Amino acid sequence: MTLEQLCNKIDLKKMSQFTDKEINGVFVSDMISDVMAGAKSGNLWLTVQTHKSIVPAANLVDVSAVIITSGKQVPPETIELASKHDIAILSTDLPTFEIVGKLYAIGIQDS
Amino acid sequence: MSQNNHEWEMTNIQFGFIVYEKCYQTNELRTFFSIEDNPILGDRYREGRKHWTRMENAQSFRFDLKCKKTGELVKFNDLMGLMYCTGCLPDCELDKLRLQYEAANTMVIVAFGFFPESLEKHIPPKKLGILTDYFNQRRNSRRSRIKVLPFNLIKDLSKCRGEFLHDVNMLTKEPPAPRRKPLFE
Repeated sequence: MTLEQLCNKIDLKKMSQFTDKEINGVFVSDMISDVMAGAKSGNLWLTVQTHKSIVPAANLVDVSAVIITSGKQVPPETIELASKHDIAILSTDLPTFEIVGKLYAIGIQDS
Repeated sequence: MSQNNHEWEMTNIQFGFIVYEKCYQTNELRTFFSIEDNPILGDRYREGRKHWTRMENAQSFRFDLKCKKTGELVKFNDLMGLMYCTGCLPDCELDKLRLQYEAANTMVIVAFGFFPESLEKHIPPKKLGILTDYFNQRRNSRRSRIKVLPFNLIKDLSKCRGEFLHDVNMLTKEPPAPRRKPLFE
């Protein structure tokens, strides 16, 4: 499944400009060190962190997208940096638990 | 340096804290990796003529890289952390390189060693090349590349406002400031 297909199935707001990518599993963490150590290329990264340092971390691990949950506001500098590096930032008002359930239900499971 | 005959994977991962301490008698700064359960921010103690104060505990991790093909193990216990260059200092050699690499769709990540040892003994370029290869090898997409460069290219550490890729203020209700203060001021 690609990011575009995902956005058509689940109500996710596109925050940054990005090219479409293939999704390969899910990683949930609010710790950058955790993501750098454990996430895999193509993972969707679910977090409530919005600081712009999530962008280089996302790029380093090559996640397919960062999904900001629980309606957290994403600062403009984070969105700008993400667009510059073609990192997809998506957001949802749903809490992490609920969005994980929806992802699982549409067939996106651990890589 | 390219290590394309290798296929690196992260091993010996250990989570902990990068501790920043400052001596206000000498203005020296030192950093180290700690696996203590509950590090105390602001902790003060005397060591000879020096009076150390703990300035920051950043949640981080350390690791080694192992080649799946050859079994070669490269230890990274001299790597304090990775930083994203924000282009904060004009005429900074690192920023000049960042602009060159970004024009080639490559993100520059800066490798720091521990202080003060790494000011004299830099992380070997060969190891930074291996780290670069590791980050690029684990990428499925070809949309961009990663280049790891040494921190000694930074013009003035005391003014650098790069973004460290580690976790600070995770236990506070205050959101992190959008523009962090320099860690080495």
